[in-house]
Amino acid sequence: MNKKIPLIEIKNLVKRFGNFTALNGVSLDVYPGEVHALLGDNGAGKSTLIKVLAGVHPATSGSIIIDGKEGKFSTPRQATDAGIGTVYQDLALNALTSVTRNFFLGREIKKGPGAFGIMQMKEMDNITIEEMAKIGINISDPTQAVGTMSGGQRQTLAIARAIYFGAKILILDEPTSALGQKQQMEVLKTIKRVQKLGHIAIILITHNEIHARLIADRYTFLSLGEVIGKGLAEELGGDDIKKLMAGGTEIGDLRDELGA
Amino acid sequence: MNSSQQTQRQESDRQADKKWYSPIFSRPEIGPLGVMLILFAMLGYFSIPEGEFSLNPFSGEGFNALGIRNNFRVIAQLGIVALAAGMLIIAGEFDLSVGSMIGFAGGCMAMILKWGFAIVIPYISFKGGFHFEGLKILEITNVSPLTAILITLCFTLAFGWFQGFLIVKSGIASFIVTLGGLFFLRGVTEVSYRAFNRAPDQTAGSTTVTDLPDIKNIINVPGHGEMERDAAKALPNDQLLEILSTVPAHTIAKITENLTYVNEKVAANKTILAAKKMIGTLEKSLEGAKKSGNESMVEILTKKIEAGVDVPAVAAKAVTDLDIAKAYIDTIITARPVANFFGGDIMEPVFSWLYYTADWNVNLYGNQFAKGMYSCLMIWFLIALACYFILSRTQAGNWIYSTGGNLSAAQANGVPTNKVKISLFMFTAFCATMFAACQVFEVNTADTAKGNLKELEAIAAAVIGGVVLTGGFGTIGGIILGTIIFGIAKEAFFYIPGIDGSFYRVFLGAVLVTAALTNENIRKRIMGSV
Ligand SMILES: Nc1ncnc2c1ncn2[C@@H]1O[C@H](COP(=O)(O)OP(=O)(O)OP(=O)(O)O)[C@@H](O)[C@H]1O
Ligand SMILES: [Mg+2]
Repeated sequence: MNKKIPLIEIKNLVKRFGNFTALNGVSLDVYPGEVHALLGDNGAGKSTLIKVLAGVHPATSGSIIIDGKEGKFSTPRQATDAGIGTVYQDLALNALTSVTRNFFLGREIKKGPGAFGIMQMKEMDNITIEEMAKIGINISDPTQAVGTMSGGQRQTLAIARAIYFGAKILILDEPTSALGQKQQMEVLKTIKRVQKLGHIAIILITHNEIHARLIADRYTFLSLGEVIGKGLAEELGGDDIKKLMAGGTEIGDLRDELGA
Repeated sequence: MNSSQQTQRQESDRQADKKWYSPIFSRPEIGPLGVMLILFAMLGYFSIPEGEFSLNPFSGEGFNALGIRNNFRVIAQLGIVALAAGMLIIAGEFDLSVGSMIGFAGGCMAMILKWGFAIVIPYISFKGGFHFEGLKILEITNVSPLTAILITLCFTLAFGWFQGFLIVKSGIASFIVTLGGLFFLRGVTEVSYRAFNRAPDQTAGSTTVTDLPDIKNIINVPGHGEMERDAAKALPNDQLLEILSTVPAHTIAKITENLTYVNEKVAANKTILAAKKMIGTLEKSLEGAKKSGNESMVEILTKKIEAGVDVPAVAAKAVTDLDIAKAYIDTIITARPVANFFGGDIMEPVFSWLYYTADWNVNLYGNQFAKGMYSCLMIWFLIALACYFILSRTQAGNWIYSTGGNLSAAQANGVPTNKVKISLFMFTAFCATMFAACQVFEVNTADTAKGNLKELEAIAAAVIGGVVLTGGFGTIGGIILGTIIFGIAKEAFFYIPGIDGSFYRVFLGAVLVTAALTNENIRKRIMGSV
């Protein structure tokens, strides 16, 4: 295997909420063109980790190094500018307005002074169609309200938006939860296409072992705020993954407990 | 199995084919538009006097020139604040202080116009016993209309900013904060009137300011300087003639031509009125004859009525030089354009054309019916145009929609939602001030009760026009339609024969709730939850 340089290195990250230690020295490397699955039980600290990366919460200690540069984010804006694109569980979309208006929300292309500049709707429509097509969804009508799109299409919109606005590190928090089977596959295909672009590092949070196995190149398992295992996809067996996802307890035990 | 067939089906196949009319009917404004047209038809036909059948809806009182002028004044005034209320609701907030803000702004303007403006620093003095003294650091008297409006705006915009700031920083519901504003501002207005608007011998001041000059009609009369138009027309005859001597000949010719037309028209209408009166007398006698059974009399009278009466034509009055001088004074343009901009009339040339050329804008006596439309119509139009442009075309518009549609999404995408909201609270204050300026300069009075209930009417108009109370959804076109419905309903119901005029409230209540249900349905359909 050829040696790659990680796009983002997380070293010994600690995050405390008062007395509660949500992350206790987490380290993680993510490489361009790879899907890095972040797995772990409820409350393990996955969402907390990505919130620190996205500049929502400041880290208590530890460092985040992006492209060799130390990153310290106190606002989401700073994280975005550093190339971290986060697709939240709620996707941060306004269901009542159009695809284009959502794609460019907060970063509209406009001509004229300040917030009263005129939006260049034609241009924005075209870019939206183009960017969505790049990762596999053809939308015929960019004026369609986002609320009328399917869950998978919305996910794609949020991902396409993050990439278009310069995300080098794409963070996806449970992108397949709350979707039907077909939609789930669509989203996985989208992630696969982003992976194939080659220059983007993807952090994927999921509770679905099958999905992780389908597209992940590398795994990190969290439990109670600490890393309890990591490895390449080809090194880990199915049982290892199941066990580590559950925080180290054997599924077999569970089977016994349920049987009893 | 036909699974291969199924996989060829696309998402887009599930969309039913669109008919040519479907874009029209899927617009949220279609409902309000229908209601508005029905109300217009009702007002048009019911206001035609009984017995005078006409298919022309413009022949009744509702839509004759004066009716149009008055109805659109009510609509436009409400419209100015409804636009602001609608924009704010789209961004997810409320402002209940609009009505009190109108009262406050009107009082502020009227008092500044009357007594001037001063900034006073109070301090405690012990010289000759403990009492308060004031240190005037700035005083302006004879304040111009523009300055009065600008000073008022300083107060109202600051208050709007403060309410918005409090709401976004504290997270308290805007309903409560602006409800506080409603009481606070009305109270401040009443207190200020009683404190300032007081003659030396009174203990408590009056809550109205009534004796402002007719500022918009202050004109520069040749040889006399600035004076009110009515005062100029009441000048002694010799002075009027003197003024006339300064007027160029072609202007005099034009005025003479117009006055001749008016006098002939008046004479012709007098003739018609006289004939009508005679027929009326004959009809009364006929009725009497029928009652008493006087057959021959009935026959004679019926024949007479059928033949029509012949009254001598009334001769047109001659146009005198004094008439021309007064008519000329009427044409002098105002020396106070700002006051005229808010309180004057617009579209006068159109209404003159309607009288002199189209022969429509004529009252019963043959004179011109309406001079023009009230200026507030133009102000409403200008604000609506700006709102439409901002909401549908600019970045700010997208921010307003997203702030109300999904606050956290807007924030996550870097939209300055707090700024958006505070700006809209200030815009609401601005619109309330514009409303007040229109009123003060139009009627030259102000009182504490002005603007009462306008906040609720504005919200109702916006909702009828398709704005959803939870935010994120609505259009300027819809708000305009909602305003027209709200403004015209009272008039429309007033003319329905045999119906209590207050039924318009019943109607509006039903329309409001129906609209809210429809809006919610449309919103849910778009949100994908239906
Ligand atoms: N703002 C906060 N203040 C205090 N504690 C918090 C805060 N945010 C998260 N926590 C705690 O940190 C722990 C980790 O939470 P986190 O949301 O990161 O878990 P997760 O791995 O994303 O779980 P899930 O799989 O359920 O999404 C939880 O015990 C949670 O209660
Ligand atoms: Mg989580």
